[in-house]
Amino acid sequence: MSETVLMKGNEAVAEAALRAGLDFYAAYPITPQTEILEYLSKKMPELGRVCVQADSEITAINMIMGAAYTGKRVLTSSAGPGISLKQEGLSYCAANDLPVVYVDVQRGGNGLANMGSCQTEYKREVTGGGNGDYHAIILAPASVQETADMVSLAYELAEKYRNIVGIMTEATIGQLVEPVTFKEAVDPASLPVPSWAKTGKMISSSDEPIKPRIKDAKPKADRAKYFQMKEEVQMWESTNVDDADYVVFAFGAPSRVVYDALLILREEGQKIGMIRPQTLWPYPEKALEELKEDVKGLISLETNCTGQMLPDVALARDLHFKDRHVPVYSCAYIVLDRIPTVMQVVDDIKAIISGQTEEAY
Amino acid sequence: MKEIIFAGFGGQGVLTGGLILSFMAAEKDLETTWMPAYGATMRGGKANCVVKMGEVGGERIGNPLMGHADALIAMNEPSLDYLGKTKKGAVVIVNSHGVDENYEYPSDKKVYKVDSVELAEKVSNEQGQNLVMLGAMMKVTELYPKDEAIDLMCKFFASKGKEKYNEKNIAAFLAGYDAV
Repeated sequence: MSETVLMKGNEAVAEAALRAGLDFYAAYPITPQTEILEYLSKKMPELGRVCVQADSEITAINMIMGAAYTGKRVLTSSAGPGISLKQEGLSYCAANDLPVVYVDVQRGGNGLANMGSCQTEYKREVTGGGNGDYHAIILAPASVQETADMVSLAYELAEKYRNIVGIMTEATIGQLVEPVTFKEAVDPASLPVPSWAKTGKMISSSDEPIKPRIKDAKPKADRAKYFQMKEEVQMWESTNVDDADYVVFAFGAPSRVVYDALLILREEGQKIGMIRPQTLWPYPEKALEELKEDVKGLISLETNCTGQMLPDVALARDLHFKDRHVPVYSCAYIVLDRIPTVMQVVDDIKAIISGQTEEAY
Repeated sequence: MKEIIFAGFGGQGVLTGGLILSFMAAEKDLETTWMPAYGATMRGGKANCVVKMGEVGGERIGNPLMGHADALIAMNEPSLDYLGKTKKGAVVIVNSHGVDENYEYPSDKKVYKVDSVELAEKVSNEQGQNLVMLGAMMKVTELYPKDEAIDLMCKFFASKGKEKYNEKNIAAFLAGYDAV
């Protein structure tokens, strides 16, 4: 292990990717993720690796696709609007089973969006995003250390399943400075060249094709792969769920507010727990096995106005509680620029406990 | 958990001041977060950061945003907007050079006035106004003992390749420390 340093979430993305053997990065600047590009534009040339500030997000993702074909570790990053522009490219990456890693440092809202620290990209990220029939694995860190850890995990998962992996962070996590310890650096030259990589040599008949395999085999293999990932990749962290009457589902920055709120509610004698999804796709449905049988309700807490995660909590509920109805409530915060305050969350959870809030599902 | 707000104009060193506090905590193996004002900030505009620090090893920090601060360092008058984000009995270190002397503070705060401009000039370190405030805060809050705080501050600047200014920076820190 190397020494602990203080670093911004965005810089930790960049440093962790470099240490994981990142060889090619292409992106276009956008708040609140530009520090990733800034950091890599300084470090990558020093290491003899390629960092491109592309002329657009679309160019960047197509460069990433080409670089990924060579079997090198690649990365692109943006905020919500930029990742929207990359969807065509990402869908092509899915069509070709390319292990592409991307980072979405979310800002808030529709269209150009604002600079708020929001979770408005949940729905898009967990459904694949582009046209077609695929899923990206979506990782959601809640601290700078977890951001760094998830970057190296992203490459492992991407290569294991030959699948896109997205790391969905948000403005607060990207701008936050915390102590972080990185893994030892991996030399990209020491990484094995995958059998499917295009190395510039003559293509032999045994090579896997570059073009999308559009016959039956591809959809069937995809279906099997998505089921396998759903079974194997679910990750979450639970806090005080064993005896909890109500369990909050929250990820990323707002989950840290919930953590503080739970301390206050516990002191007041309220048994509230939290499940913090670390993977948003696959959604950690298995986490519900930790809940007590007579849990009174589940709460989906997120910073977007439509309650994008809410249906996933309801589906997980349906899968687990087959014999009785457990209500699912929504705390969806429409707060520009910031995550909710601890007392706001405490009050909203109390409103649910006291029956003032109607169930959503 | 301790929470400290460092606020002023962009260029007064408030972000660095907060980073030093975070660095001190990290060096002591305490959990810590540093969160800057996020949005359109610029030199001469409003700037702030909030630092949270565990008091014992392993104490986890939840919400990294401003909540109930134990101390507010206010380098200018607009920074006093954050008085509402401080606890009852919180320490407020005010730069008397930048705040109206007749400003009415809430009665439940412990207010200390420090002329950071004059003190920094006296030790020939005009850029060290943030360190003057840091020194004053350190004495009043007794967050860390004086010598330990100075050692860690010097280590912070050394980690940025700026150890050649340590002597001047210590002088600025002590000017604030001795002023309250």
